[in-house]
Amino acid sequence: MLAIEARDVTKTYGEGRLAVPVLRGVSLSVARGEVVALEGPSGSGKTTLLCILGCLLTPSSGRIAIDGQDVDPHRADRLWKVRRRSIGFVFQQFNLFPSLTATENVQYTLNLRGWRGRKATREADRVLDQVGLGHRKDFRPRDLSGGQKQRVAVARALAGSAPLILADEPTGNLDSEAGAQVLDLFRSLAKVENRGLMIVTHDPSVRSIADRVISIRDGQLTTGEAN
Amino acid sequence: MVDLALKMILDDKTRFAITVLGVGFAVALVLTQVGLFFGLLDNASVTIDRLDADLWVTARNTPNVDFANPFPESYVQRVRSVPGVTRADNLIVWYAIVSLPSGAKEQVVYYGLENFPLWNFPWDVASGDPSDLRRGRYVMLDESAERRFGAFEAGDYREFLGRRLKIIGKTRGARSFTTSPIAFVDYGLAQALAPDELEGRTTFVIVKLDPNADPIAVAAEIRRRLPYNDVYTKADWASASQHYWIESTGLGLTIFLTVFLGALVGVVIVAQTLYASVAEHLSEFGTVKALGGRNLDVYGIIAEQATFAAALGYGVGFLFAQALGPVLEQLDMRMIITPTVYVMVFVGTLALCLAASALSFRKVASLDPAIVFRG
Ligand SMILES: Nc1ncnc2c1ncn2[C@@H]1O[C@H](COP(=O)(O)OP(=O)(O)OP(=O)(O)O)[C@@H](O)[C@H]1O
Ligand SMILES: [Mg+2]
Repeated sequence: MLAIEARDVTKTYGEGRLAVPVLRGVSLSVARGEVVALEGPSGSGKTTLLCILGCLLTPSSGRIAIDGQDVDPHRADRLWKVRRRSIGFVFQQFNLFPSLTATENVQYTLNLRGWRGRKATREADRVLDQVGLGHRKDFRPRDLSGGQKQRVAVARALAGSAPLILADEPTGNLDSEAGAQVLDLFRSLAKVENRGLMIVTHDPSVRSIADRVISIRDGQLTTGEAN
Repeated sequence: MVDLALKMILDDKTRFAITVLGVGFAVALVLTQVGLFFGLLDNASVTIDRLDADLWVTARNTPNVDFANPFPESYVQRVRSVPGVTRADNLIVWYAIVSLPSGAKEQVVYYGLENFPLWNFPWDVASGDPSDLRRGRYVMLDESAERRFGAFEAGDYREFLGRRLKIIGKTRGARSFTTSPIAFVDYGLAQALAPDELEGRTTFVIVKLDPNADPIAVAAEIRRRLPYNDVYTKADWASASQHYWIESTGLGLTIFLTVFLGALVGVVIVAQTLYASVAEHLSEFGTVKALGGRNLDVYGIIAEQATFAAALGYGVGFLFAQALGPVLEQLDMRMIITPTVYVMVFVGTLALCLAASALSFRKVASLDPAIVFRG
């Protein structure tokens, strides 16, 4: 089963003389349980592509299917439903809610996904245990190290069985040791939980945990070889 | 459910406290001003409200109970003969100058009736017996007069328009809008105090109706028989007396302006602090959207914060108004805040806080969730 499939996706920012073509016909897929790294120089369109795959941005043309279901990317008023149900995000800046504890950060996302009460509490406990933060559940982000914060973010993305997890430079704000730990965790959880995982990165160490590396240059994919 | 709105507030207690105090200040301002307004208005009609009459006959164009005009006292006979009238009596309301032991002079409003108990008037007697008033040159004075007259006791004498009257008791709660203290004397004495104007004359005829009689119909019949008088139901006369003062003093406009400004201050404070808070938490709201939150979910967070500010601010204002009540009482000012006023001010506070929060809605509505990927 494919967690996501994109066909001939293009994106042009702006219009007329100011138009900037950023993606020029990108097709790719990520299977459940597969880890894909997306590499490319700065400005090549990695984040733009990730936003489109994550239903945060509408492509200029092309088609997207998530977990086998077509998404109409032009129904912007419906995209939140797809994000809520099917996509977990991990950001370079962590983007945790500073006023919430680790568990609450995870639970809040579960609440948005429709999980309530004890069911949400148990799921939050489960994923936090999985990322090895069982003993830091009641800590606020400000009391956690960078690596721990990113592990909370990973737990938040995993919580609630979204088939696809998208991460943009998840190690960008971490030192190499913490980064390596997060990447190992990421890989093993994607396998155990059978989620599709796509990591956008400059970090060469991502290659070593990826099943496949995709490179993008000037808005076009250049390679798609297996690791 | 994780209450993100509440946690955000608790994370920045100082800002929230400022918001709450701002709302509390506005609520306190509105409650005390409206309370004082109704307190003053109540003074304008308290004697009408308490006197046990269903209809009031006044001289033509008498504007309020304090500014009475005399008319022949024999008219009371014509009123008594109207079907549906159980009882009708003359009532004099007039002014007198009182000479104080200090040599100073003060004004009182006096009410003269033949049979006070029959009309349940005065309604709150602290000492003495109103039925004794007819036995001589006696007067009962309201306690509130002590502020103007200095202390007095039953048994003291005071000079009313040059005549020595013996104080035989005190009443409570009888006030006039003019702030002149209220006195009670026998009807005959009331006329004798001002013979030039009141010899053979009265200023009101008060009417008690048969329980089955239709007040409107009886009033119409009295009007037909006394074409040079006005006839009011108790409620109409009370409201006419109040409206006279609202209009002639500009009190209505003043109170409207105060409430308007109070509300404006509250709205500006709430709108401003909420907007600043939303601007500061923009990336969090972007994250909420990225995680699958709708605009509605984000509005919900902001609206919940506004609701907390409204509820707590109202509580602060309420407590302040409650605490101020006794203090004002010491200064002989009375606040009357009815449950309706409390409810309306609460609903208004909530509505205005939500309206103020709606200013921030636009900012988050146009917020692109993709900002979460752009540092
Ligand atoms: N909202 C926008 N409007 C116009 N142009 C944009 C917008 N967002 C991105 N771009 C342009 O699109 C191109 C690709 O940007 P994108 O952020 O996808 O690159 P990236 O590969 O993620 O780069 P980096 O590695 O530096 O994060 C850049 O040239 C950028 O200037
Ligand atoms: Mg980028």
